[in-house]
Amino acid sequence: MKTPVIVSDFRAGLAGGDLLIQNCHDCGKPNMWPRYACPHCQSDNLGWVKSSGKAVLHSFCVLRQGAPEGFEGDLPYAIGVVKLPEGVQLLVRLEATGENDWSAYGCDDEVEFVAVDPGEIERRPCATFRRVG
Amino acid sequence: MTENWQLHVDAGQENDPVFVGVGEIPTGKFPDRSFIEGLTSVAVMALRDAGMVPRDIDTILLIPCLHSGADQADLVFSRMAEELGIHGSCKSSFMVHSGGSTSDNAVRAAHGLIATGHAKNVLVLQCERWGSADLNEMITMLSKNGIPGEWELPTGIQFNAIGAMIMRRYMHASGSTAEELASVCVTLRKWANLNENAMFYTKPLTVEQILASRMVADPLHSFECPPMADGACAFVMTSAGVAKKRGISSGVRVAGSGGCVSHYCLSQESDQAVLGWPLAAERAWNQSGWGPKDADIGEIYDSYAAVTAIALEGIGVAEKGEGARWFAAGHGDPGGKLPMNTNGGLLSAGHTGVGGGTALLVEGIRQLLHRAPAKRQVEGCERAIIGGTGGSYMDAQILLLERTKLGA
Ligand SMILES: [Zn+2]
Repeated sequence: MKTPVIVSDFRAGLAGGDLLIQNCHDCGKPNMWPRYACPHCQSDNLGWVKSSGKAVLHSFCVLRQGAPEGFEGDLPYAIGVVKLPEGVQLLVRLEATGENDWSAYGCDDEVEFVAVDPGEIERRPCATFRRVG
Repeated sequence: MTENWQLHVDAGQENDPVFVGVGEIPTGKFPDRSFIEGLTSVAVMALRDAGMVPRDIDTILLIPCLHSGADQADLVFSRMAEELGIHGSCKSSFMVHSGGSTSDNAVRAAHGLIATGHAKNVLVLQCERWGSADLNEMITMLSKNGIPGEWELPTGIQFNAIGAMIMRRYMHASGSTAEELASVCVTLRKWANLNENAMFYTKPLTVEQILASRMVADPLHSFECPPMADGACAFVMTSAGVAKKRGISSGVRVAGSGGCVSHYCLSQESDQAVLGWPLAAERAWNQSGWGPKDADIGEIYDSYAAVTAIALEGIGVAEKGEGARWFAAGHGDPGGKLPMNTNGGLLSAGHTGVGGGTALLVEGIRQLLHRAPAKRQVEGCERAIIGGTGGSYMDAQILLLERTKLGA
């Protein structure tokens, strides 16, 4: 199956260093994850806005074993849920602050989007965030 | 109260659905016990417990298995009707599926079928071979359940990561310590040590052992992860009228139920330390006419300690933020003020996939029928809180069950 346009657009944004949020042209509300019809008004007149990149970390974990197939070489890695001021939330990877060290992170910490190498996005098309300060 | 949403069947009515029998075989690693053998064993046990034979059953509801697509297809395509010899007379055989909350929804389905007359006697069957399946295959499969492939698979998320994120948020919101979270597992182990069918029947467990076990997904330790197990159980439901005619003097009825589907993927949950429990509980208590203080036992889904602590708070058994400390104080232990997960739960009796919730439900029915082995039977058990949740804790489902006299 061909990758759906909402997916390829989002991934193209990440590869270009932008975190895109789907936006409804009719009601103006943001949707994340991106949808095929606006959950607020059911419009299919949907586009994208660039996120501010600011977020608050709702929760996270550091996976040390039991990686899904294809992720074994990434261990350990941290994933978390971030809440954006735009009113949406998403699952992201968290950048280590030292070698394999995420001990500085805490719930409700301020975090920010960080652009990663397009080759890495090709391999793992997901957003990465890091601790602010 | 924001809504008044009542069941249309009351205690004493002829069409009031009641549980009249349960069956269960040991949970653990049983590689030589076949899938169909497990299903057949628990079907026969539940029917005997209900004083029935297969011919009495007109409707079979199947709880899915996760270990094999082929075995699941056997369930869907009525193999059990033939295995039990009721092909040709059985009216309907079908699967209900919402992951870990399936048993709650299966009860709602059976309850509706019986109350309206679509079904007379319903047999609900569950069997899983998770403990004998290839571990890596199951990990990969579980990294795709309740996770949107196109958006979240690229992060490398899997089930322990989901449990660990909920645990961390819960610890942050409640100020609970690692020791207090570990004490939930210890309470469950105390119950498993009273249940010969539990995977860890003979193995004690301490907080110290848990905290010394390796970190799987910070803050989650390996001894806080549910052990994948083989297991099977079954139950029978009929109407109060039919039960009376069969000379059954007491059964278990549904006083009320409530639910809330709060998300599909965990990233879209607004508060991981709350989940869907408050709305589910409001709906359930509104229907039942009794409250948390009236319950004699709880059987609440426990694939991770934090999940159960959060549920207890939403249900109103523990104060906000006090769920883990409620366990640490021993309130859920044998002899505690509200015995909790009296079979040992998923964490200590064994995680049988979709069946973990079914085993808790079956234990609740068994306790209310006063048919648990003496060493763990809760005396005077009249009311039970059953809680379930599926997928990435996508829903909170509550059944409030009560023992009922059927005359005779
Ligand atoms: Zn819209």
